[in-house]
Amino acid sequence: MNGENTFQKNYEALISRELLAAWVEGFKENFRLIGPAGGKGEAEFREVFSFNEINLDYQSTMLPPGKTFLLKPVEEILSFNITPGGPVAEEPPLPDRKRILFGVHACDTHAILYLDKVFLGVFPDPFYRARRENTFIFSLNCKTVSGLCFCHLVGTGPFLKAQSGYDVLLTDMGSEFLVELKSVRAKKIFSLEGRPPEGRDLEKKKELELELLKNFRKDFKADGLREVFLSRPDHPVLKETAEGRCLSCGNCVMVCPTCFCHDIYDEAGVSLARIKRMRRWDACQDYFFAKVHGGNFREERQARLRQFVFHKLDYEGQFGVKGTVGCGRCIRWCPTGIDLTEIAKEMMK
Amino acid sequence: MPFFSGEKRKPRAGFFKFSCCTGCGFELAYFQRSLEDTLKSFDFTFFRLAYSSGALEGPFDLALVEGTVTEPHQAVELKRIRENSAVLYAVGSCAIAGGIPAIKAGGRELEIEKRVYQKKLYRLTSMRPSVLSDYVKVDGCVRGCPPGRRDLEEALVSILLHRRPEFIEYSVCVECKLRGNICLLVDEGLPCMGPVTNAGCGALCPACHRACYSCFGLMSRANIPALKNKFRELGLSGEEIERRFTLFDALRLKK
Repeated sequence: MNGENTFQKNYEALISRELLAAWVEGFKENFRLIGPAGGKGEAEFREVFSFNEINLDYQSTMLPPGKTFLLKPVEEILSFNITPGGPVAEEPPLPDRKRILFGVHACDTHAILYLDKVFLGVFPDPFYRARRENTFIFSLNCKTVSGLCFCHLVGTGPFLKAQSGYDVLLTDMGSEFLVELKSVRAKKIFSLEGRPPEGRDLEKKKELELELLKNFRKDFKADGLREVFLSRPDHPVLKETAEGRCLSCGNCVMVCPTCFCHDIYDEAGVSLARIKRMRRWDACQDYFFAKVHGGNFREERQARLRQFVFHKLDYEGQFGVKGTVGCGRCIRWCPTGIDLTEIAKEMMK
Repeated sequence: MPFFSGEKRKPRAGFFKFSCCTGCGFELAYFQRSLEDTLKSFDFTFFRLAYSSGALEGPFDLALVEGTVTEPHQAVELKRIRENSAVLYAVGSCAIAGGIPAIKAGGRELEIEKRVYQKKLYRLTSMRPSVLSDYVKVDGCVRGCPPGRRDLEEALVSILLHRRPEFIEYSVCVECKLRGNICLLVDEGLPCMGPVTNAGCGALCPACHRACYSCFGLMSRANIPALKNKFRELGLSGEEIERRFTLFDALRLKK
């Protein structure tokens, strides 16, 4: 960071809603703005063309913002032609459009940090990386809590505590918004004018969070699950839930913000002129997901359900954190209301 | 030896039809952007919708068969097609699961014939509906009513490349999420068959705010009792539930 940028600049400020709107509108020239829009039914993250379209009070969305816009549902990663001299491959251009992902809640921000571990880890994915680098993440602390949220139990919310990996943090303080620039690049690019927060403002922020914490309904002990999972992988609650209610439809994992599994397959036209290699989100609840040469290692429905529950609530050995961020989407969008926290509670008994 | 590797002979293909609406045949004939390539890459020696003449005898590298077997002569014909074809794919819900022609499997033949035709029933040669796999070995199922572009293309490409086809085998829910459709079953309580239905349509109906009615047929290993329970919770009567599940899958579910 150079000296002239750090000099004089505010990295934290309280600004009115109108000023926030004007501030964000100003980015439209250089950024594609993506935010939670629509409010009658379920809000969804989509491209918005004015700040007024953004629903700052949204509770949740069906599809998570990070997975949808950083790891696209379906995308072409390669194409090749079969020529007389052999196959000739061509890579599609990397996405280079600058974007702002606005209004990402704490859980979904943590989900993006989780996806980073997957796609920017040992084998960085060029498409994910290009999108991630070109996307500025504006996180938004929650104002309400749904009956299905459990971020407070897994340390991902309701207020964002992570200090890096995103760019801006917004908190609705009632009459004003607290805006905090968090990343080096945000501090470089964005200028912020407004009243610097004082001690009482930070006090108020803390109070808001404490108030919010009272509204959580979900309660289970996230610690100690590993021993239970290891000792009783065939617990009857898994079989009962799988046979009685699980449709193997895959809704839970498709809406999950941290489920990163994807399938890679070729799409060839009949002319065989240009064969496209595609990547799309995959669902471990499908029977054929675990089918390999010689057999299927998750033949039974309960094995697939167990894979989901354990991967979300345990598997810390994989990336150092739990697979869940407590957003509650898998519960909300399961047609038969299967609740992984209830399964965990039952197993802990 | 794959057909693209300079081999002179094009694969010989035949498209056959039993009892059905011919929609799958139309789908292939209307194969918009790919029709020209399809006819260039394949030698369709029998395809009634495209050519008025054609040799029924074969041999065929690929036989695509649509429709349900509901008459004795169709069974004979199907067996002959099988014997003269290297690869045989069942195309469409009628051929795979019974589809619409198999709705009559729910009752007695004569009673249903009386209801539909009233008299001169001795002229009818129709018999109980059967899927292709009741008579012959089927190498693959191109699901749909009619099939989606992707699976149809996969069927043809698999022949050109001499490889095993990979047809879509997951629920409509997966396609709904890929498309970003808000779930009708969860959000609005509509009796959507999506969770147990094989994908391939691209979640067409839910995208138009209509509950899936399972025209692609049940996906393999669907949890049927669990969805029936859910429909009961939504307030559907036993008959309403039964109708939804037997509209395209009467044969598989009656067994």
